[in-house]
Amino acid sequence: MRLRSHLLLLSVATAAPVLALAVVIAFLVVKQERDTLRDGAVDRVVAVMSGIDAELRGSIATLRALAASANLEKGELAAFHSEAERILKAHPDWLDYSLNHADGTRLATSLRAGTQVQLADPESFELAVRNGEPVVGALARWDEKGWGVPLRMPVLEDGLTRYVLTVVLKPDAFADLLRAQRLPEGWVVAIADRNGVIVGRIPPVPPGTQATQGWQEALKRSPQGWYRGRTLEGRETYTPYATSDLTGWALGIAMPAEQVDSAAWRSLWLVLIMVLLASGIAVGLALLIGGRIAKPIAELAAGSFPAHTRIDEIRALSAAVREKQELAEREKAALQASDRAKDEFLAMLSHELRNPLAALTTAAHVLKLAGPNEAAAVHARAVVDRQTKHMARLVGDLLDISRVAMGKVALERERFNLAESAGNVLNTWRASGRVERHRVLQDLKPAWVDADRARIEQILSNLLDNAVKFTPAGKQIAVRVAQEGEDAVLLVRDEGAGLAPGSAERMFDLFVQGERGLDRAAGGLGIGLALVKRLTEMHGGSVAAASAGAGRGATFTVRLPAVLPPAQREKAASPLVLAPRKVLIVEDNDDARHMLHQALEFSGHDVREARDGTSGLALAAEARPDVALIDIGLPDLDGYEVARRLRAAPGGRRMGLIAITGYGQAEDQRRAYEAGFDAHLTKPVAPERLKQVMAGLQ
Amino acid sequence: MTKRLLVVDDDADMRLTLKLALEIAGYGVEVAANGKEALEAQRRRAADVLITDIFMPDADGFEAIDAFRKEFPATKIIAVSGGAQFTKRDYLPDAELAGADATLQKPFDVDKLLALLKAL
Repeated sequence: MRLRSHLLLLSVATAAPVLALAVVIAFLVVKQERDTLRDGAVDRVVAVMSGIDAELRGSIATLRALAASANLEKGELAAFHSEAERILKAHPDWLDYSLNHADGTRLATSLRAGTQVQLADPESFELAVRNGEPVVGALARWDEKGWGVPLRMPVLEDGLTRYVLTVVLKPDAFADLLRAQRLPEGWVVAIADRNGVIVGRIPPVPPGTQATQGWQEALKRSPQGWYRGRTLEGRETYTPYATSDLTGWALGIAMPAEQVDSAAWRSLWLVLIMVLLASGIAVGLALLIGGRIAKPIAELAAGSFPAHTRIDEIRALSAAVREKQELAEREKAALQASDRAKDEFLAMLSHELRNPLAALTTAAHVLKLAGPNEAAAVHARAVVDRQTKHMARLVGDLLDISRVAMGKVALERERFNLAESAGNVLNTWRASGRVERHRVLQDLKPAWVDADRARIEQILSNLLDNAVKFTPAGKQIAVRVAQEGEDAVLLVRDEGAGLAPGSAERMFDLFVQGERGLDRAAGGLGIGLALVKRLTEMHGGSVAAASAGAGRGATFTVRLPAVLPPAQREKAASPLVLAPRKVLIVEDNDDARHMLHQALEFSGHDVREARDGTSGLALAAEARPDVALIDIGLPDLDGYEVARRLRAAPGGRRMGLIAITGYGQAEDQRRAYEAGFDAHLTKPVAPERLKQVMAGLQ
Repeated sequence: MTKRLLVVDDDADMRLTLKLALEIAGYGVEVAANGKEALEAQRRRAADVLITDIFMPDADGFEAIDAFRKEFPATKIIAVSGGAQFTKRDYLPDAELAGADATLQKPFDVDKLLALLKAL
């Protein structure tokens, strides 16, 4: 279910009880209104009734006075008659009077003799005789003059009723009283006697008309009250009514039902309209607010960010989602970049290894065909020399970076002058022609360090490699060495492609390479600088890249802890010239053996060779070499065993023993020294290094 | 008749050894360091076969092949590369699509190249 629907439901759930309560209250108000109206109407009826009763009481009082007439007591009927006639004349409402004996015999009357033969309304007459109390009788046809209501007054003698004095009241009198109420148009007021015959009514009805069935039934149920029914004319009405204690008569005022109801309905309608209006407003507001809440959430769900919402939670949610998304995107981008870097790396690895191999195989082909002293062969040999060195460095870098990454590189520290070391590297680079397209500036001031010389040279080589790659031909590459405070500083500055802002730190990450197109000159494995950073850090130093921006060159600065120069005891390094020696090579790999053989012979040494340990030992015993170069991985005895036996043999103590292995681990070196070797070289053996080591054995 | 060859490679050693090897085999060989130089050399003196590396600075092998196909349609083209099979940068099959007559993956046997030259 949608959020908007939930909010609508919420508003309905909140509003519904309130609305229900409002309806109940409306009904109560309507009922209250009607009750008030009813009670007021009944009170009014009672008041009118009292007025009528008062009128009658006046008549009864007058009648009582007449009944107490002395003439009547003395039996002087003629005198009484004239007294009665006089009073009759004074009361226009009185129609006639009559004096009867208790047995009904007429004694005196205002009527013409003989007109009234039978007694009208005998019930009231009998009631007056029996009770000795005045009685208001029922409407009856009196004589030709019309209808009248008898008012009977018993005249007592010794507690018994002797006569009954009757006056007949005109119904018009009551009608006048009712008219005086001035009821609104459409209303009906009526008085009915004990028998339910209408005595007076506005609007009038013919005398003797019976009250409606509805009113008579209501009167039977209760002497006073309110009922809904129809008038004689058939109109719907509400009728409050009351009954007089004095006369037993009933008075009712009928109000048109539509007037009473319309007031009630008006109130009810008003309440209902208000309720509907309130509900409408509630639903409308719920939809509006719901939309305000739901829309940004829906937008968020659809993947776009709501531009403006005033709801804090949604803003927070939006921010959180955005943050998550950006994080995910960054991670994805990083992952893709890393994937790309690996692909690039593999592609470059392929190039970097296959290109020198291609040059080497072609050179091998040339050497196969050309005479050893032909120019072609000389060139080819130079190519082989350069490309093998290049490949050896490449493979060395590859292995180094993995070993450094695994923390397996042990530094062989010695105290040396960084300037001298940098000078050696620059000379080698110049000799190889790798910087011939650039102007190389050097400014090398003494700065001593306690470091692994080979690693420091590797650091400079890699920095130079990087500078050459990214610097166009003809531009300058500067190398500086100097001591700055506690630091020995090695600086390589180029005028090359420079670094994009913010990428300086990333330069040292593994496999990260500079931007370039199809430009192999700028190719590489993306490991050179990573290696620089790790090797520098292993020495307790730091490396930083800086650039004024893309295209404006870059400066790489290596800082190493400086140490004090040693006391002047070493003579300046001079080109090594070794005295010719007798050298034994024990190596099972033909190529490696031949290579070493030629390199040593070229340097003027007397060289012997053996393919395995056993023949090597035999040859050593026979030829007594000054120096033995021994491969560790031999087919029969291993190199360690050969060394141990040579040392044990006569004259073996002063023989120089050099181990040659494919493994350069500290552990391998330790084992070599324990077996009695003087030095340890890792394949491939560089002739210069071999020269150095042999010089060290002198 | 001695065919004239034009070897294009950004690696000086590669240029040199290939030139030596091909000269020993009896060909006349010109060299160039990139596509642009190659085109200039060809305009000076047209070679029968262009042997070009793909991945080079300035004008790369693809550009060189394009230019040669337009300007020197009669010249045969052999594309060589040390690229890995899975990278687009110097994908050799693309070189054939671009118009190379044959391709060789570095490192290659010079005899194989010589056989290829004969076949062309």
